[in-house]
Amino acid sequence: MRLPLPSFVRTTTFRLAVVHAVTFLIFTFGLLIYLFYSTAGYMRSQSVKELDGEVQALAAAFNTGGMARLNQSVVERSSVPGPYFYVLQDADGQTISGDFPSIPDEVPDEESVETNFNYQTLNRNGEIEVRSANGIIIRLPNGAALMVAYDLGQRRQIVDRIIQTMWTALPIGLALSLIGGLIISRWAARRAEQLTRTTDGIISGDLSRRAPVIGSGDEFDRLSERLNAMLDKLEHLMMTTRHAGDAIAHDLRSPLTRLRNRLENDLRDGEKVDREESLERTIAEVDAVLATFNAILSLSRIQAGDAAKFKQVDISMLGEELAELYQPAAEDEGLSFDSEIEGGLTVDGDRSLLGQAMANLLDNAMKYTPKGGAMTLRVRTNSHDQAEISVTDTGPGIPEADRERAVKRFVRLEASRTQPGNGLGLAMVDAIARLHHGKFELCDGPGEPPATGLRAALLLPKAQE
Amino acid sequence: MNILAIEDDLEMASFVQRILSEEGHSVETVHDGESGLALARSKEFDLLIVDRMLPRKDGLELVREFRESGGNAPTLFLSALGDVDHRVEGLKAGGDDYLTKPFAPDELLARVDALGRRGGTEAPITILKVGDLEMNLLARTVKRGEESIDLQPREFRLLEFLMRNAGQVVTRTMLLEKVWDYHFDPQTNVIDVHISRLRGKIDKDFDRPLLHTVRGAGYRLQA
Repeated sequence: MRLPLPSFVRTTTFRLAVVHAVTFLIFTFGLLIYLFYSTAGYMRSQSVKELDGEVQALAAAFNTGGMARLNQSVVERSSVPGPYFYVLQDADGQTISGDFPSIPDEVPDEESVETNFNYQTLNRNGEIEVRSANGIIIRLPNGAALMVAYDLGQRRQIVDRIIQTMWTALPIGLALSLIGGLIISRWAARRAEQLTRTTDGIISGDLSRRAPVIGSGDEFDRLSERLNAMLDKLEHLMMTTRHAGDAIAHDLRSPLTRLRNRLENDLRDGEKVDREESLERTIAEVDAVLATFNAILSLSRIQAGDAAKFKQVDISMLGEELAELYQPAAEDEGLSFDSEIEGGLTVDGDRSLLGQAMANLLDNAMKYTPKGGAMTLRVRTNSHDQAEISVTDTGPGIPEADRERAVKRFVRLEASRTQPGNGLGLAMVDAIARLHHGKFELCDGPGEPPATGLRAALLLPKAQE
Repeated sequence: MNILAIEDDLEMASFVQRILSEEGHSVETVHDGESGLALARSKEFDLLIVDRMLPRKDGLELVREFRESGGNAPTLFLSALGDVDHRVEGLKAGGDDYLTKPFAPDELLARVDALGRRGGTEAPITILKVGDLEMNLLARTVKRGEESIDLQPREFRLLEFLMRNAGQVVTRTMLLEKVWDYHFDPQTNVIDVHISRLRGKIDKDFDRPLLHTVRGAGYRLQA
């Protein structure tokens, strides 16, 4: 069974601190161990070199002055205090001179040999202590033997000091690394906490909260930026939804009220009413309400839409098709209809929506242009190298002051109140233009004031080759 | 026709049943996806009408599974989800047509009739005939009686669609979808004008009109 861990163990702060401490300790001890071995190794090689030097000097004394000279040198050197021991023995193993009782190891038959040995001595306090030494033993050509040894006791002291230091360093290092780990992980945790606070704020309804970006460009900054971008999109969607809700409530109320009043009237009039006609009119009105409702929904969807599913759309062909679709109807309305379409123009977009936008513009032109007027559909590349879809007519136009309002939802300008329509046509064109990263413009048409006519143009970026 | 309607909204189900029964179809209704699929597999139907959002198995899944198990009855989706994307999903799942709620009864009848005829064994047709009107699909010529009629390409496609659905009501929305491939409704009467031009060519100088307007619904080509 697993024991439940205290909650602080689960925090990132704690985990990071522990990981940091352990890593720090491993590195520190690795470094100390390396230091120890390199120091010890250096001291060892240094002592061997010094021993060699002593042996060389004594060998030189033997070579120049024989045993007498060697003996003299040994006696001299033995009298100097220091870490070296000297022993000179004759061929029978009797000690001749030196400051050590005898050669503690077997003497080799020829040349020299290294040796390690322990010996007992009295320290300054009069206690017996065991020390170790490292020496070289040489067999001289006359059968005598010489040993020069180096007292390792001193070297051990240094090594002991290092080990002792390591043990002292352990708790200090541990403490330091824990503190370092805590500082680092607290910093990381604080940034994470800022994000948590931001999201908490959002959950509790404040959608305007944003995660802090401190400009360091690190992972937290990047995460915050992404989070903020996501929130912007969400807020935009929420706004759109809210607007759609308001619009539905506001603009379906009046036709529904009208419908209800009419039904009420028919009911009161009783027998006098032609039942069938009343029902047919009701159905027609309900259909109109449903059409408005659908238009509101699709407008909201367009406004919240994304361009991810865009494909290349040949707007020249689309223009030709729509011109062909509308021409007969326009002519029946007593309008002359022209189309000027540049071939092979494509944009990245949604064919159905672009078709809808063109149809809305053509519908509008047809509705508002009086008999005998003219309308023109143009598809071309404009001077800014944009794809331009425009519809001009010779109708009453829209006064400049009203143009901005005309593309808002449900705005039906005074002049148009008598015409059928739901007031969403131009708003939809505007939304479709925005969705395609383009613009929708209204300006004066070709006519003379006061009936200037209207030119409605959709400016879209051309498709990338 | 033997029709299975799978629709969870009882009001809508009885509405569908009623308008189809009045036209002489026999209609069974089921109110959830699983029993709908079970029934569709166990009996032979000439047509399935499937709501997209159903309890216990949604319409898309139902049709997909029905097709996978070899069911080939034509299928009409009925749905309040009317986006082009939704339509495409429906057709990809194996539906043959897609009708958005709310719809006019005539719209439903027209589409049901169109689908019902599609079910039969279809040899490639090269000549369409309605009364004395004759269309040659290979030569792309039209004549009425002995008189040949000159049509624009779009008028030809419009007439072809009407002739293929001769005797049935064809709605404006159907024409926009099938002849123009548009899934949006223009607010003005653009389709009517095309029809009246076509009428001018095929009916004007003849005693018996073939192309009839069905008030509030659409058009019918009938001898």
